[in-house]
Amino acid sequence: MTPPETQLPAAPATVTLTIDGRQVTVQKGTNVLEAARAQGTDISYFCYHPGLSSPAVCRQCLVEVAGQPKLVPSCYTPVADNMVVITASERVLTARRQMLEFTLVNHPVDCPICDKAGECTLQKLYMEWDGHPSRSDVNKVHKPKVVDLGPTIVLDAERCILCTRCIRVCDEVAHQHQLTMAFRGDHEILTTAPGQVLDNPYSLNTVDVCPVGALTSKDFRFKMRAWELYTVPSVCPGCATGCNVEIHHAQGQAWRLVPRPNPDINKFWMCDEGRLTYKELTRDRVVGARLGDDPAPLEKAINYAAERIEQVRQEGGTVAVVLGAQATNEDLYLAARVAIDVLSARVFIAGRPAVPDRVDEILRSADVNPNSAGAKIFGRAAAGGIPELERALQNGELSLVWAIGEDLPLSEEAFAALDDIEMIVQASHEDELTAGADVVLPAAMWAEVDGTFTNVQGLVQRIRRALDAPGGAKPHWELTAAIARRLGVSVDEPNVRALFNEMKSKVPEMAGAEWGRPQPLVQLRFANSRG
Amino acid sequence: MAIGVKVVARPSGIAQDMYVSAVVKGLGVTMRHFFENLFGKKHIVTVQYPEERAVYPKRYRGLHRLMTRDDGSVRCVACMCCPTACPAHCITIVAEETGNGAEKRPAIFEIDELRCVVCGLCVEACPCDAIRMDTGIHAPPVEHRGDAVLGKLDLLAHTGKSEAHQGGLGGEWRGAPPVRTG
Ligand code: SF4
Ligand code: SF4
Ligand code: SF4
Ligand code: SF4
Ligand code: FES
Repeated sequence: MTPPETQLPAAPATVTLTIDGRQVTVQKGTNVLEAARAQGTDISYFCYHPGLSSPAVCRQCLVEVAGQPKLVPSCYTPVADNMVVITASERVLTARRQMLEFTLVNHPVDCPICDKAGECTLQKLYMEWDGHPSRSDVNKVHKPKVVDLGPTIVLDAERCILCTRCIRVCDEVAHQHQLTMAFRGDHEILTTAPGQVLDNPYSLNTVDVCPVGALTSKDFRFKMRAWELYTVPSVCPGCATGCNVEIHHAQGQAWRLVPRPNPDINKFWMCDEGRLTYKELTRDRVVGARLGDDPAPLEKAINYAAERIEQVRQEGGTVAVVLGAQATNEDLYLAARVAIDVLSARVFIAGRPAVPDRVDEILRSADVNPNSAGAKIFGRAAAGGIPELERALQNGELSLVWAIGEDLPLSEEAFAALDDIEMIVQASHEDELTAGADVVLPAAMWAEVDGTFTNVQGLVQRIRRALDAPGGAKPHWELTAAIARRLGVSVDEPNVRALFNEMKSKVPEMAGAEWGRPQPLVQLRFANSRG
Repeated sequence: MAIGVKVVARPSGIAQDMYVSAVVKGLGVTMRHFFENLFGKKHIVTVQYPEERAVYPKRYRGLHRLMTRDDGSVRCVACMCCPTACPAHCITIVAEETGNGAEKRPAIFEIDELRCVVCGLCVEACPCDAIRMDTGIHAPPVEHRGDAVLGKLDLLAHTGKSEAHQGGLGGEWRGAPPVRTG
């Protein structure tokens, strides 16, 4: 059947309803809970999650709808025109209070040893509107504690309030049925599905969504209390997808990464591998400049690097600049500007080798560099990749290599060829390359700098400085600028913001980029519950 | 508006200029105290330590101590409530797994007694009655700042004057009618 020729554009389907005496217009299909939130009224809930289906099992979100005899779960009730909703009548509040008491009947309330304390929804609701001791006269039902569910997660079955969010994360996000409920009534427990362990690559999202402390991450367990952490919004450096994250840090150290919702990229999730990338921040860091094997003052190492570049140029040799895809757009923009426009150097793009096994249809990319797209833009059409760099090295075409970042996955022959030429590397981690380089300059990593990454979709995303770089490490762009100035190049950007603005005006692909507002440093003590 | 200036007449005169009378007056006070103390010991506040000891008030707190469970293990579960409450930031705790039912305990528990302002907030914050300030032990003088940092074993070794039963009221509170608030 052919569609009618003149089809009217579908009217934007909206619904207008009244919540607590105030009118609100939302899209058709929205549930009452979200509509109330859009209007500024928070309704308590446990089992609902905006990124998951609504099974309406916890009944913590009950509201009154005019004309309906019973209270209805707001997470499960779609809005309808002229609906009249009351979210805070005595009847509603009593029902919710009773539901909360019911949820707490067998709850162990071991908050002092519970990792969720301080960001626990149950704790928050109890403090907000319950606050009385248990009225139960019988012993609590005890369930298993410290149950090993898989490589990443420990379950405390007593604390579980049976909301099924974790089961739904596995089913609906990771598409693997690894968790399930067993037994009935007050003996119901969460457990792994028959023959399964909780080992999917998105397993740690269950810890985030768990509204209580039933699921705890082995990596984070007992390390820090939630309220001691400060949060800084950033982007995961684990792969080209660029999931939005919060860096949770305290005492000058990052303790965990958690996903930050972004509907265009990661929704509410991130992968487990990405979560652990914060460990890179403390692994084998380059903390000071070196000339060969000898530690040197940064100033001296930069002078020496500039002298070598100058000499190679005067002798008519070829300089190669390698743009590492772990660096930010600003770093690479400046390096490419100096390399192409001033030194007429050959430009190559490098980064960590791709991991094809990682790819799935969900979030993970094979490219494990956060800024490959940016490197491609700044390297311009002439830039080669690793194969071209290997060929140039083996043919002896290069006299000096200046690498922004230490990730150069070269073949053994090409690596050997590096020995014969001058090697300057701005590196964050000690590895084979820094061990053999002539000049090593200490570079700061993603959590220690301000800047932007371009993800695989071409979205330019802001990363923010959360920590101090160890030792004398400096952002790549500062190191590059220092060398460039000694080569007589004028680099007058006083800070990375100015560099960003210049990049935005000069590079068409960056025209839509936004630096964003300054973010006040938030301590989780004041950030309410998560999950 | 100009500030009003009150001119105070300077005392003058030959007696004032020579200071002699003031010196004599001052020496007089000194000598009076000297002889009073020599014969009457009226104003002496010095305690002849260690033969004599000052009497401390009944509710004097003294150094902290960490309490133990019946089996002798540390009662603290490293919940971090006391370092959070401490206004002097003098408590440092690193938690670890116990591997038994208690789940969590401090691997490191340090209090810098030089920084402590003896407010007792740590004791009030503790949900487990694991830390008390009832030893009555006066902080000893130390030669190095680090010596005033007491570790877990030091704190566990302190025994105190209070022998109050630990563990709250047990199940007894159930006898009372539930208090409903909110
Ligand atoms: S889940 Fe929440 S209420 Fe339960 S013990 Fe943990 S912090 Fe306390
Ligand atoms: S473990 Fe947490 S998320 Fe899973 S059902 Fe229990 S309370 Fe819900
Ligand atoms: S008494 Fe006050 S200052 Fe001293 S450790 Fe306790 S909370 Fe800190
Ligand atoms: S408040 Fe009590 S249980 Fe918590 S860390 Fe301090 S001493 Fe340990
Ligand atoms: S949130 Fe609506 S029933 Fe659980």
